[in-house]
Amino acid sequence: MKSKSSVNRPPTPDVLEDTPEREPTLQELINIKLIETGEKERLMELLRERLVDCGWKDEMKSLCRAFVKKKGRNNVTVDELIHVITPKGRASVPDSVKAELLQKIRTFLVSAAL
Amino acid sequence: MVYHSSFVDENGVNRACGCPLLPLKSHIKGPAPVSDQDRTDIVDEAITFFRANVFFRNFDIKSPADKLLIYLTFYINVALKRLEGCRTLAEGTKAVINLGLEKVPVPGESGFPFSGLFPLPQSHPEAGGQRSSVPNGFSFPPPSSAMSSNINGQILPYPCPHLAEFRRTSSKPFRALHHCLRIKPPGGRAAIRRDPNEVPCCAACGLSSPSRLYACVTCATVSCHTIAADGDSLSHAAAHAASMPHGHQIAVDVDRAELFCCACCDQVYDRDFDAAVVIAQTTASTLGGGSTATPPLQPENLRKRRRVNYLPWAPDLREQALIGSCSSPIDGATDDSYHFPRGLRGLNNLGNTCFMNSVLQALLHTPPLRNYFLSDRHNRYFCQNKSSDEGDSGNAGKKSGGINGNKSGRICLACDMDAMFSAIFSGDRAPYSPAKFLYSWWQHAANLASYEQQDAHEFFISMLDGIHEKVEKDRCKPHSEGSGDCCIAHRVFSGILRSDVMCMACGFTSTTYDPCIDISLDLEPNQGGSTKKAAASSNRTCNGEADCSSQNCGTSTLMGCLERFTRAERLGSDQKFFCQQCKVRQETLKQMSIRKLPLVSCFHIKRFEHSSTRKMSRKLDRYLQFPFSLDMSPYLSSSILRSRFGNRIFPFDGDEPDATNEVSSEFELFAVVTHSGKLDAGHYVTYLRLNNQWYKCDDAWVTRVDENIVRAAQGYMMFYVQKMLYYKASDKQVAS
Repeated sequence: MKSKSSVNRPPTPDVLEDTPEREPTLQELINIKLIETGEKERLMELLRERLVDCGWKDEMKSLCRAFVKKKGRNNVTVDELIHVITPKGRASVPDSVKAELLQKIRTFLVSAAL
Repeated sequence: MVYHSSFVDENGVNRACGCPLLPLKSHIKGPAPVSDQDRTDIVDEAITFFRANVFFRNFDIKSPADKLLIYLTFYINVALKRLEGCRTLAEGTKAVINLGLEKVPVPGESGFPFSGLFPLPQSHPEAGGQRSSVPNGFSFPPPSSAMSSNINGQILPYPCPHLAEFRRTSSKPFRALHHCLRIKPPGGRAAIRRDPNEVPCCAACGLSSPSRLYACVTCATVSCHTIAADGDSLSHAAAHAASMPHGHQIAVDVDRAELFCCACCDQVYDRDFDAAVVIAQTTASTLGGGSTATPPLQPENLRKRRRVNYLPWAPDLREQALIGSCSSPIDGATDDSYHFPRGLRGLNNLGNTCFMNSVLQALLHTPPLRNYFLSDRHNRYFCQNKSSDEGDSGNAGKKSGGINGNKSGRICLACDMDAMFSAIFSGDRAPYSPAKFLYSWWQHAANLASYEQQDAHEFFISMLDGIHEKVEKDRCKPHSEGSGDCCIAHRVFSGILRSDVMCMACGFTSTTYDPCIDISLDLEPNQGGSTKKAAASSNRTCNGEADCSSQNCGTSTLMGCLERFTRAERLGSDQKFFCQQCKVRQETLKQMSIRKLPLVSCFHIKRFEHSSTRKMSRKLDRYLQFPFSLDMSPYLSSSILRSRFGNRIFPFDGDEPDATNEVSSEFELFAVVTHSGKLDAGHYVTYLRLNNQWYKCDDAWVTRVDENIVRAAQGYMMFYVQKMLYYKASDKQVAS
């Protein structure tokens, strides 16, 4: 079977295996830079902390609970949950958290550009 | 006569190995079609007829469905054999699920029980179909139709058929993934990366930023799973699964190291995979430095509690006679003083001793403590801790004994407690003066011996310590406090706290377990110093409390305090911690959780604030809401650890196999000690809950109060008892 031959292959393919060489966009460049320096991980950790602090996580949790309760425990998939909750979640992130994160990213960009 | 299957109509039914693939009542997709939930399927039939059919030696096969019935009857037999040794529902569920996950022999293979009855499979897929059709139908849960089972107190979802199929077809399912597990130091989250600095991106659209990237566990293709706005078109991950012949449905989230089935669009769980991830995470945080810290140290003083079945007891004739001859009837418990329950008696204030009275009232009505003393487990006349002449002479002699007692070690606080219990529950309603007790306590804690006002919490700690110390000295056995088998005080009040300190640089975690008598909680800060903090806390009160059901906005709650208590806390740069792995002082993350709950939880609210910078102390008069029933499970180590490791099927610290934790994590409030007044001058009052009725104990005066008054009170110490030890209704019957 096909699967047998690839059992030992690591599960991530070579990045540029068959895609033609193309200029990465600025957004992608920044993203790669963020990941390479480990800044992205730090920012994500900070964001997690802030979202817990401001109660956003609890709020999302109760929204999810309510949805699962409404639909019945056996009829819900993660995808449905994400589909329903994501818009509400995006809308209810406090502006102060967004501002803080934006400030951090700006600072990083300035320091990375030098 | 044997019962035959009623599924004789074979129109439109596919067959595998001569067996019809009959509809099954299962939500799991397999080769067999899905039947209506309200119709009887072949499995129901097999279960219904099992008791009758299992006795027959011969079975006359009339239709192909009969063959299936025979096989199912056999399978039920196998399942029953597995259940033989199981004592609890959870164990049984586990055994049956494991049976369902096992590799089932198909006709033609060795181990198949009915050789000759079924024709051999024509092709491999047919065998696969046969196989998966059996566990599909047969991973039936014993309790009617629940679709998931409960193991270790955790809801265990059914394995998705794609995952089950994947596990069957590959010999070492997730071996390749083990090399790619990366544990990222801050927070210790698991991720999947081929090499540490790889930036994964979707093979279809080339984007690396979408939030959900999945790597196919079969062919390692990374695809994104961004659901289109219309929700109709397939995501790249789902498209990948659909484009491949089969076996490419299972993928792993590259940032979370969690399994996902692209066909079911749902998270799936695999025991082995989860175990591997958790072990990798714990190794990264403990063994990495090669230090002595082996995987999660078990506190050695935790004994496995064995469960004993409840046996109702009724006295036999001999015991009845003994009870009759050795006891005197309780006189008029209900006549006197407006039906107050027995044991409610005011305590005289002996000069600023309301701090003592308030705590004593709570302790006198602590169910396990009360039962201990009233059942004569510590008899003051036979107490070994005191000199014999003093013990024999009884109450009168005790006074003089107390005076002589200065020779150190002659006082026994437990004896004084016993005397007090006798007096309080004697039926006398006149206020009692705990002078003897006060005197003994003064001798125990000489630094607090004065007629000044004291802190009730300080007294509580000091007197439990006094009861404990006595026994300790006496037995000279090295008892550990946390185990709670050293003395009655620790047996009732002692729990174990777990504290994890994680290095922010390398992720090294050191875990310590500490016994605790009570839990001191900070009041949530309402007005933070900096503007940023103020913003965060105002948000918190609006959003955060929405989850704590039925809480008003804007008030701090006991649950909120407990949540803060168990939340991971970043220690400031000024208090760096020495990391054993980095060998330098690093910034650290500290998290507390409760490893073992005590029988009685005492929460102490830190209302007295000492500011070292301003060199002054003040009292926080803020109101704190507290529930009458409290569920402690979110603050247990097992819950805290579970959330740290992501969504996994894995037993964590403190998970017990028979889910006893679930029962014992529910608590009922029975006493509240409140403080009114200022820091240096105030008054303590206790509210007691007896027979679900509240009483206010203000020194010598005891009055019945409405529960709303209690809810509005400014709690300083809250006493919660495990729900199974709190007798709401039966108390009354015992008393009357």
